[in-house]
Amino acid sequence: MKVNRSKGYARVDGLLLPSIVIVALITQIPILVTLGLSVVRWIVVRPDLRVSFVGISNYIQLFTTPSFLGIIVNTVVMTLASITVCTLFGLIISLTLNRQFPGVNIARIILIAPFFVMDAVAGIVWKTLMLHPSFGINSVIANLFGVTPVDFLGHYPMFTVVMLVVWQWTPFFVLILLAGLQSIPEEILESARLDGAGWLRTILRIKIPAIANHIEVAVMTGLIFILKVFGLIYVTTAGGPGTASTNLPFIVFRTGFYRWDVGRAAAMAVITVVLTLIFLNLLFTLVRRKSRELEA
Amino acid sequence: MTDARGGRTIRALRSTRAWKRTVGVLVALPIWAFCLAYCFPILYMFMTSFKTEADAVPPRLFFVPTLANYATVLSGGILPYLYNSLIITLAAMALSLLLGLPAAYVIVFGKLKHPDSVYFWFLSTTLMPAVSVIIPVFMVFRGLGALDSRWGMILVYMGANIPIVVWMVRSFLKDIPIELLEAAEIDGATRLSAFFRIILPLARGGIISTALLVFIFIWNEFFFAVNLTYVHAGTMPVFMASYMTQEGLFWAKLSAISTLTVLPPLILGWISQKALVRGMMMGAVKG
Repeated sequence: MKVNRSKGYARVDGLLLPSIVIVALITQIPILVTLGLSVVRWIVVRPDLRVSFVGISNYIQLFTTPSFLGIIVNTVVMTLASITVCTLFGLIISLTLNRQFPGVNIARIILIAPFFVMDAVAGIVWKTLMLHPSFGINSVIANLFGVTPVDFLGHYPMFTVVMLVVWQWTPFFVLILLAGLQSIPEEILESARLDGAGWLRTILRIKIPAIANHIEVAVMTGLIFILKVFGLIYVTTAGGPGTASTNLPFIVFRTGFYRWDVGRAAAMAVITVVLTLIFLNLLFTLVRRKSRELEA
Repeated sequence: MTDARGGRTIRALRSTRAWKRTVGVLVALPIWAFCLAYCFPILYMFMTSFKTEADAVPPRLFFVPTLANYATVLSGGILPYLYNSLIITLAAMALSLLLGLPAAYVIVFGKLKHPDSVYFWFLSTTLMPAVSVIIPVFMVFRGLGALDSRWGMILVYMGANIPIVVWMVRSFLKDIPIELLEAAEIDGATRLSAFFRIILPLARGGIISTALLVFIFIWNEFFFAVNLTYVHAGTMPVFMASYMTQEGLFWAKLSAISTLTVLPPLILGWISQKALVRGMMMGAVKG
């Protein structure tokens, strides 16, 4: 007896509606509104300037402002640098942890902790307890070597933000990549061993290609989230000094909720979306080309 | 084992448990040291939370641990924020599951024309940065009186996390053979009872882990919380940020608050990490 699926299950399809409605209301429709606001001049704190349609002049103004171009560069540099370092560290650490030793499970559990610590706390702890030039671990170490402590947030704000992002996200990369390494069938490694492949060769030629899928997922997730970094910057450098460590999400926040320049902030948000899409597109193209090479 | 090269004694020695354990520990020590060093900021925060302010700044290595900070902190302004965090997180998590679970069920077992398109639509919404929606959401919320309200935050977090529920749960449901459902159907079970009697028990582990992850995401969320709440519906991240600016010099108390704030997601994260990996990889591979 064959069950008639079309009759049986069609009736429950309506269950999809509520979630689609809520998700569309919160994420999709606002994006369209943002797009609309980006071609408007609307500064909430200046009622004398009336709300008016200005076409693409918000965009033109942004792209001719050097500090805004610098912010785009900051965003790109922050994202690419963090992801590169996370991938590298993630690979090294997961390869190291992918073995049996006493307490291996506890070591793995400890290492994952920073990923679950919220941005606000990670930023505050690093800013005060760790990097503070007078009372942080920073000063303790500097005193140990008899040198003046470095003012990380003041002098190397971008480096500091990238360092914190890397600290938070490397454990995530380790988590994903380690799962990949553990899923490599033992026979493959065994045959490599029988072929006399050295450890480096085994890693480069067998292990890394075998976890390409995992690397991809880690990089893509990392990309999406690191482009959005906000809390860390908010509690540590506040985007400063000047706009030295400001990224796109942070400048949207500043422009929208400090200067109340709705049109300009919306244009910035649209640029952020476009940048995200460009990044994802590049990544997909790269992945597709790679997999085509592998198939060939 | 390439024991053949070694002499008899060495071979005997090597095969003993004690030797193996020694080698194991020697390999483990640097790895252990690294893991501890990596998490030092968290451990140090934990430690500082038991110091007096005088022991915290400048830092002293030796100190008499005290619970005073926790007593002070918990009798201060933290409680409403902690309460908000709990209520908003639990409600948004439960509602995201309530709506997201059936959605994933329909995508996997329903009779949609293009189930994958629906799935990818959900997935694509998670790619978009929060800044792209914040201004309209803020304005609409102001109009509706939803600014700085718990229900407003719950709604926002539902919109952000239903896609994650769909994404994760779909990967767990895909493991369940449709024949099971069909067999239940033949036995006269309705769709609804099949969902409760077959799907839910089989995917229970995955669903619980998804719930824990969503809990962590909402608990830790900063951007919406900072922009849409002030004093009435402020969550822990908002409290952290304001405490930092107002009383940032009291490091011991700051550490106590931080410890209280990170403990729930840390514990839940440790429980759910395996499912996180699995859900993500399945979502990608079976996509």
